Amino acid sequence: MLKQIAIRLGRQKTTTKSLVVRSAGHRLTERRGPWLWAAGLAAYAFLYLPLTIVVAYSFNDSRLNAEWVGFTLHWYRVLLEDEDMLVAAGNSLFIATVASLAATVLGTMAGIAMHRYKLKVLTFMVLAPVAMPEILLGVSLLLFFIQVLNLTLGLLSIVLAHITFSIGFVAVIVQARLAAMDESLFEAARDLGASPWQTFRHVTFPLILPAVIAGGLMAFTLSIDDFVITFFTAGVGVQTLPLRIYSMIKIAVTPEVNAVSTLLMLLTLSLTVIASRFAPDVLKGKS
Amino acid sequence: MGNKTTIPSATRLTKWLVSGPPLLFLLLLVAAPGMITVLASFRYPGEFGGLAPLVAADPQTLQGVTLETYRFFFSDFIYAEVFVKSLFMALATTLICLLMAYPLALLIAHSPKKSRNLMVLLVVLPFTSNFLIGIYAWMIILGPQSALSQMLNGMLHLFGIAPVHLLFSPFAVLVALVYAHLPFMVLPLYTNLEKHDPALLDAAQDLGANAWQRFWRVTFPLSQPGIFAGSALVFIPVLGMFAIPELLGGTGDMLVGNLIKEQFLGTRDWPFGSTLSILLTVAVLLIVWLAVRLGGRGGRYA
Amino acid sequence: MIRPILFLLLFIGHAQAADVLHLYNWNNYISDVTIARFETQCACRVVQDYYSDNEEMLAKLAAGATGYDLIVPTGNAVESLVRQRALRPLDKSQLPKLNNIDPAYLNTAFDPGNKYSVPYAYTLTLIGYNSARLRELNIPVDSWAAIFEPRHLEKLKGRVTVLDSQRELLAAALKYLGYSANDTIEAHWKQARDLIVRAKPYWAAFNASSYIKELTVGNIWLVHGYSSDIFQADIDAQNAQRGFRIVAAIPKEGAVLALDSMVLHKSGPRPDLAHRFIDFMLEGRNAAELTNLIGSGNPNLDARQYIQPEIAQNPAVFPDKTQQVKLEMLRDLDRHQRRVLSRIWTEIKLR
Repeated sequence: MLKQIAIRLGRQKTTTKSLVVRSAGHRLTERRGPWLWAAGLAAYAFLYLPLTIVVAYSFNDSRLNAEWVGFTLHWYRVLLEDEDMLVAAGNSLFIATVASLAATVLGTMAGIAMHRYKLKVLTFMVLAPVAMPEILLGVSLLLFFIQVLNLTLGLLSIVLAHITFSIGFVAVIVQARLAAMDESLFEAARDLGASPWQTFRHVTFPLILPAVIAGGLMAFTLSIDDFVITFFTAGVGVQTLPLRIYSMIKIAVTPEVNAVSTLLMLLTLSLTVIASRFAPDVLKGKS
Repeated sequence: MGNKTTIPSATRLTKWLVSGPPLLFLLLLVAAPGMITVLASFRYPGEFGGLAPLVAADPQTLQGVTLETYRFFFSDFIYAEVFVKSLFMALATTLICLLMAYPLALLIAHSPKKSRNLMVLLVVLPFTSNFLIGIYAWMIILGPQSALSQMLNGMLHLFGIAPVHLLFSPFAVLVALVYAHLPFMVLPLYTNLEKHDPALLDAAQDLGANAWQRFWRVTFPLSQPGIFAGSALVFIPVLGMFAIPELLGGTGDMLVGNLIKEQFLGTRDWPFGSTLSILLTVAVLLIVWLAVRLGGRGGRYA
Repeated sequence: MIRPILFLLLFIGHAQAADVLHLYNWNNYISDVTIARFETQCACRVVQDYYSDNEEMLAKLAAGATGYDLIVPTGNAVESLVRQRALRPLDKSQLPKLNNIDPAYLNTAFDPGNKYSVPYAYTLTLIGYNSARLRELNIPVDSWAAIFEPRHLEKLKGRVTVLDSQRELLAAALKYLGYSANDTIEAHWKQARDLIVRAKPYWAAFNASSYIKELTVGNIWLVHGYSSDIFQADIDAQNAQRGFRIVAAIPKEGAVLALDSMVLHKSGPRPDLAHRFIDFMLEGRNAAELTNLIGSGNPNLDARQYIQPEIAQNPAVFPDKTQQVKLEMLRDLDRHQRRVLSRIWTEIKLR
């Protein structure tokens, strides 16, 4: 029976592939007209202009992020001696990794369930944290952790909070992909007697993988960026990068913050490159 | 495996295996804390912040439950005004994000497969460092001594118009809001556009549709779920945002987020803060519901 | 490969020696040198958490944050914490150097008899300005009028920021109107509101953070701000060779003085270390390091000899007797007053 599915799936794959090859080779790339290029590149420029400034001023020999004075590595030296900042950065990366992995698993399940079973209560629960103002989620989680769970605030409470607000984002993306997918694929697998797990493993998952990855990346981004909810759920002695930066902005941001951002971007970039080396399928969305 | 009688129960089991864990997690960490907050909105603020006790030994102290925070909200228009202003700001942000993200998502989706992931990564990369940094960068870019400001004011001067301040203005707030939320529009749009069957466009082309017609008749209607998801991911967080108006706003830029933050972190008036949050959530749900109804009609038309 | 590194990073934060003092402090409110010296002296570690706002700190404590041995709140926040019974009384036998503190800063209204608090440092909320610009425009800087009067502001449109703080801005307006900074009569508050709303169109922003940089760069010429921030802006301007100075002035109508004090939180597990730390900070040399670092006012008489002369002679850091009487410390507001003030603030922002 498995063999049949495999053959059936294999056939399905070849037809899609041939389609893609035919059109991608000829027309798809032609569809990137000059206007599309211009608008797309403008959007990239908009995203990268501030970034360039952040990186550039991390090498600027002036306390002020205002005008170019001269090149220096001073701020990186300051950073390497700032133990608080390094610990905060480590905390942020740890929290983002754990929370985004957990949120990706739970969010993918939620997205599939929302699509397949149309559970009203689940849809509501998934959208609620997205629809809630962050600050409300932060405060209510704090009350909950302290008063109900009697949990000592720390890394665990932050991770739990981050998973909570990330699930919805992953689920929405996964569901949006499923919604526009051809139902007959799943039906075919079911008709051929594939178990739900087999259907998921061989049909659903490969198809939704790009959405899962996009969702996971978004969860990671949200986690490493989050300030409000972390602010409320962080305990004694646990700092994250945004908390540290916020404290510094209140006084005056020195280019040390630019330096730590630059390093953080480099790190994420290299992690992604390494990941794609060891598991090329993960990034390429092997469907 | 293929036994007919076990299929319904197996399906039910699968259903709960898939939806159970996320549902349980969310019930515990969203519904329960949410209930606590709803209850908080019906209480009196504590003398030093937090909540006044439900039952106090001293009859002099405020205690029990009350509707006073809701009465206070509706007692004049000032708070409703903040809400309306924030909704317009969020709407503007969403529209600009959509206008900027759509061509970008389309460009990525129409690029060769090899380069797509890299292009998506390039969208996310700026946000792997903290968004406060990006905001700070915009403060530099929009500052009066930046090249941008000087160029603009130089041009205005030619036409005899007084110089403008870009920083500390609603304009600066809008730019930063768009900046901080753009990827949340690009990703769902791309995810949607990427899976469109190119054969449809080929067919349309073979039928003589020009590029514009192909976009409006094929791509755009098919991308509606993506547009909807992206808009929700932008519109809603903007409403709760407070850091951007605080850092880039002028003297009048107050959004609901600022108001709520102030109740918890400034005024220490948790019941009123809870009330504001709940009313905001109700407003958001109302808008989403409206959008779903309108979107549903549009979808049928397509 | 990645996971072990992350776990390692996790443990950096948690590998702690047995003797740890948890200090909940303002950002950048103690010199690293001072911390290092204390750590050697007591053979312990100091772990700091930071806040940038009293309200933030109070909100977090009200929500149940625990584990802090020592906090450094401003007077009105001390008052609130005392009334919440959140503080541990001081054991003065462990604080032999307490008499180093200027008696003018002891026995304050928020903690009579200093049962709970030991003064640490203070800042004033006053006017800071770009010396070159304001001289050019010929605007008097000895009065809040520079901030509130349209006739002056016309020349400064878009070049003024005021603090994004309800209490501080209201206090400045009340002072200019001739009332106490702690006036709670609603009619007076409304008068203050109208004064602020009239001046608002000329201001660039309500700002609590970035005005330091804007002053230094020369974008903003006049601010309502904290003395230590203005001090910082001046140092930055000098280092960047801007060709102008940033000067602080105490308006003749009076201003707000914020006295930050060290207090022991009830939840702190190490009151012994906390007492040692307080007595250590009462030493003139240690106390002076903060003033030399950020230009804060210093209530420690023994510290004067160690303070850089330029700071010691700055009247905005060490006001003379005639100015001292015009300074007021803010008191805590009750819940009703807080809500009314928040409403007025919303009106100010929207009008």
